[in-house]
Amino acid sequence: MATTRRTFFGAAGSVALLCTIGGEEVEVTAPEQADAVAARVKRPRGAIAQAVPQIQPAPGGVRREYWIQAETRRWNITPKGRDEWHNRRIAGRNVFTAYVYREMTPGFAGPAGPAKMPGPILTGEVGDVLVVHFRNADTELRQAVTMHPHGVKYNPEYDGAYMGEFTRAGGFIAPGETFTYQWECTPDSVGVWPYHDHGPNHTLNTFRGLFGTIIVRPKGQAWPNKTYALHAHQLVPAVTKLERTFQCINGRAYAGNTPTLRSRVGETVEIHAVGMDSNFHTFHIHGHRWKDPAGVYTDNPAFGPNEVVSARFVEDNPGRWLYHCHVFTHQDAGMAGWYVVDP
Amino acid sequence: MLAAPGVASAQTYPEPKDPGPVAPKPKGPFETHTVCKRGCAFKKIQAAVNAADAGDTIRVRNGVYREAVRINGQKKRYLKLIGNRKHPEKVLLRARGSMQNGIAVNNADEVTVDGFMARGYKANGFFFTNVNGYKMNHLIARQTGVYGLYAFNSIGGSILNSEAYYVNDGAFYIGQTPPQDKPKRTIVRNVSGWGAPLGFSATNMRYVTITKSRFYNNAVGIAPNALDSEKFPPAEENVIIDNEIFWNNFNFHQGKPPFPVRSEGTAALVPVGTGILLFGGKGNRVENNRIYGNFLAGVVAIEGFLVEKTPAARTLERNQIKGNRFGEDGTDVNGMDLVYDGNGTGNCFSMDGVSTTFPADRSTFAGGCDGSPNVFNQTVQQALVGWIGENAVKAWNKHPHPPKPGIKPLEIYGS
Repeated sequence: MATTRRTFFGAAGSVALLCTIGGEEVEVTAPEQADAVAARVKRPRGAIAQAVPQIQPAPGGVRREYWIQAETRRWNITPKGRDEWHNRRIAGRNVFTAYVYREMTPGFAGPAGPAKMPGPILTGEVGDVLVVHFRNADTELRQAVTMHPHGVKYNPEYDGAYMGEFTRAGGFIAPGETFTYQWECTPDSVGVWPYHDHGPNHTLNTFRGLFGTIIVRPKGQAWPNKTYALHAHQLVPAVTKLERTFQCINGRAYAGNTPTLRSRVGETVEIHAVGMDSNFHTFHIHGHRWKDPAGVYTDNPAFGPNEVVSARFVEDNPGRWLYHCHVFTHQDAGMAGWYVVDP
Repeated sequence: MLAAPGVASAQTYPEPKDPGPVAPKPKGPFETHTVCKRGCAFKKIQAAVNAADAGDTIRVRNGVYREAVRINGQKKRYLKLIGNRKHPEKVLLRARGSMQNGIAVNNADEVTVDGFMARGYKANGFFFTNVNGYKMNHLIARQTGVYGLYAFNSIGGSILNSEAYYVNDGAFYIGQTPPQDKPKRTIVRNVSGWGAPLGFSATNMRYVTITKSRFYNNAVGIAPNALDSEKFPPAEENVIIDNEIFWNNFNFHQGKPPFPVRSEGTAALVPVGTGILLFGGKGNRVENNRIYGNFLAGVVAIEGFLVEKTPAARTLERNQIKGNRFGEDGTDVNGMDLVYDGNGTGNCFSMDGVSTTFPADRSTFAGGCDGSPNVFNQTVQQALVGWIGENAVKAWNKHPHPPKPGIKPLEIYGS
């Protein structure tokens, strides 16, 4: 393939991943290497669930139940095959095997939504307990996965982290198994947080799509008219086995494929940008500005791995706008999208 | 339901053992073996099974096979036995003499049986035991002795797109699920169980989701229950969601049912005219089902009073019954929508859309949803015990059903 500006930017970051999986250091140039090592990781002795505590909500709170399973699926990074921003065709292979969270109906009876990247948004108010029934529904990759939350309160059983011999019950959910996480929404949990896989092969599996969003609000606070969560991440050849790196938002690359956000003038809007790779990004929306947590107006805040920045404003500027990461190599390799405001 | 394996044919049933962790997936290379009456490598399914290695596929062409197939041991793990998925009745396993099971799988993990009909076996149509992982799909069982599709002492499987009828205990049965600290759930989807004492029997069943299925024209539609006759009581953590449970008024004690009627065992005692019977049990959820035209009751919850060896397993705990639609907007009511003796703690009943209850003053249903103890009433429980078997008929609210395409109500067969 001839080197062009596009393939040059696309190749950025496409070197092998270096992962440590179950005590083995693995230089991953293709996912099968890491999967084979992860499949050999044995269940730690401490990872057996024994009398896991039932967490009760604070007075006035409720137990909010979710049924979520992890599954693999074929995922098209550029389903429209075009970059609408630059009105050009996107050539080359664009489909890979992703690993994603999917919301299910109670008892995992059936899908409650699509298997997609990111997983479902989990919401709670202060005082609630997020009760997440989690199932590892993938049997092909033969490895344990988990759900590890940020921001909420939990005891070690519900950490969802593989830690070798120190692993607790929620840190090793083998294929076919279920485990119920219980996470408390405390006053200091208010905010927007990621969740992601933290099993033995967590770096690769998070890069493949096992991530999502948690939103905790103060009790009784009204929701904005529109809430969006955008995860900025790259999909590199070592993960996808494709020829090039895609700079993605929610698993898609280039405007028209990435989420098109919509609102109307007068609506309250919240857009949360989450870093979900090993890079630093910025979140820029054309035609808009908002106050950061320090009270300073901004239109391009920076955020790092698993960090969240939030844009909150009352919409007053109709039109078609771009949003994108302002790291130019990311923006030019797909990390951009549309924000459409109706009058 | 209840000790049926021992009662039916103890000498032919393998002893239950710990299914253990799932056996590793075989590496292959895999072969496909074909079975048919003329011109194939095998004439008998059993011969193909004997020749197959783990992970192989056996394709069985249309025909009548008068054999009882056994798939035993981990050397047969991940075997795929494929008949006719679109027309299972065209690959008919027909019992001869005293054959016990159409297809019996013992201690062979992740075996798939897909696209068969079994008829006339003394014990069961399709029987899986001591396995970790299994799949039953596109199966039909008719007039099999005890159960139609049966998974015992097994972990994490699926039963899909299947039908069972005219059996003398449970059309479908999952029993004695070993407790697991990180459970592998079993999914039952799109099945029909009818014309039996129990549409779905579930003694000490765990971690099973039953959904998008129909249970009708049985004495009882679905019965998660706790008994000492099998290990690991009670029934726990099951989810019965989005099913249609109707017309379960089959009084097999009368007339000439198309199966040998059992005069003993719990199947003989189930209260005729009941949609769902929770007989003991913990953490079970009955949600978003359509429950109608059951002349005794839609849902009955009662202490598992037959459990003696493990008293802690008698009590109803943390069961949730909510979001169900009862009585088809008054056009096909249940005798009573909800019946409960008030036993246990944390049992939560939603009263939305509920017209009739027993007791009528709803006193036993108080509490529970906040985890508190429910309000037990001994007199109510005694009344429920009085509805054993066909005694329940005396308490029926009998009425004509609105017509339903393709299904006729069954109350007494051969009368």
